[in-house]
Amino acid sequence: MSRGPGERSAADASPHDWVCAVASMTTGAVLDDLSRADERERLEGLAATLPELFATIDGHCLERLSQRMGGHGDAHAFSEILMFSENYLHLIQPLTRRPGQALLAVCSAASSIGLALSLMRERVAVLEGE
Amino acid sequence: MSAAESSRVLPSIPASPSLIAGVLRLLAFIDELPAGATGALNFGEHGLILLEARKICWAVSPSMRLRLTDILRNQSTPPLPREAVEEIYRRAKESGAPFGEALVQGGLISEAGLRAALFKHNGEAIAHLASSGVGPVSFVSHLRTGYDPRFSFSACEALAMLGSLDDPARALAAQLELGNTLVQDSFGVAFARNELASGALVIAVDRHCDVPVQDLIEICNWTSGLFDVTHTFDPDATIARATWAGSLALVAWRAKGIGYVSLCTTRAAAARVVSRLENASRSSGVIAAAPRYREGGQ
Repeated sequence: MSRGPGERSAADASPHDWVCAVASMTTGAVLDDLSRADERERLEGLAATLPELFATIDGHCLERLSQRMGGHGDAHAFSEILMFSENYLHLIQPLTRRPGQALLAVCSAASSIGLALSLMRERVAVLEGE
Repeated sequence: MSAAESSRVLPSIPASPSLIAGVLRLLAFIDELPAGATGALNFGEHGLILLEARKICWAVSPSMRLRLTDILRNQSTPPLPREAVEEIYRRAKESGAPFGEALVQGGLISEAGLRAALFKHNGEAIAHLASSGVGPVSFVSHLRTGYDPRFSFSACEALAMLGSLDDPARALAAQLELGNTLVQDSFGVAFARNELASGALVIAVDRHCDVPVQDLIEICNWTSGLFDVTHTFDPDATIARATWAGSLALVAWRAKGIGYVSLCTTRAAAARVVSRLENASRSSGVIAAAPRYREGGQ
């Protein structure tokens, strides 16, 4: 049953409709087995953008910008990308210990960004054996 | 003359792909000078650019049609009396003070008016220097140029000024959007797609935007591609945030055919920019009225 606009609960703040998977940043293919078709559908589109998102930015450009802006750490590639829309929050985090792969997640737009990022980092830690 | 024509920033410079490429080459040369570069960039008989700490203080080309005096006089309605301007000019020459700054001190023009006039003048000079096809022949270092930093411009600002020629009203709207969205520890750029630039055409930047122009364009082009590919799986996605180098982030968004990028030196600044954008989108109905819970889960 759907709720009215004034009937949001605290549970709505958590990414309860969270779905995530590992994908190849070079081919854009989802690498995890996703049994549910709706989950696969939600992640395949996002996965397919990975080669475009990560191969088209010049690492030297990011390094030069980092020098001008006072950055530190790994400056030649994006460490996290989030995309916001009316209905969804999309998250991408490349796996540093699994080169060429990234963890992807999609959840409801009403989710807590902080909670979604925490979940991503927890999953990355597990995947990278930390 | 139409309203659009009368508001054109540089009426004597028709923007063209070759001009934009020439301006980019010239500004990239300035970007490659050392950070503290102060002195005169000479183009032989074609003119010069005075720099202080790599910022453009003054540019001149003999082929320019507009003179600073005319631009300054026409900053006011009705135009400033020629005699009053000439008197200030005479006194500035005697004292060695920059003419424009003397006009501000004399109360004939506001600081903002002088900045706008210098922006117009220097922009036209740079466009003329670029279109001459002649590169700089020498750079002569000075201890300082004597120009007030409030009236100097980054290479990014010069690039945006040229890009604004294509549609001044759109550029003004983009400047307002940047002003309403940027927060402390962030600076930003607005761009449009245009056949003149064969990619992103930078149309506005804020005053703190001072990064290499080639890198600025690279980021704009990447953002443009990001929204293209995002459209394939979520056409409603209008805001993106990418993080790199520890604490740095860029926030990109699009509105009314214009792309924007805010470069943030802290993650907190990026979060505030996203929050502002979401609030603005919500009030305009672009994003549904349900509140998103902020980072940190509160």
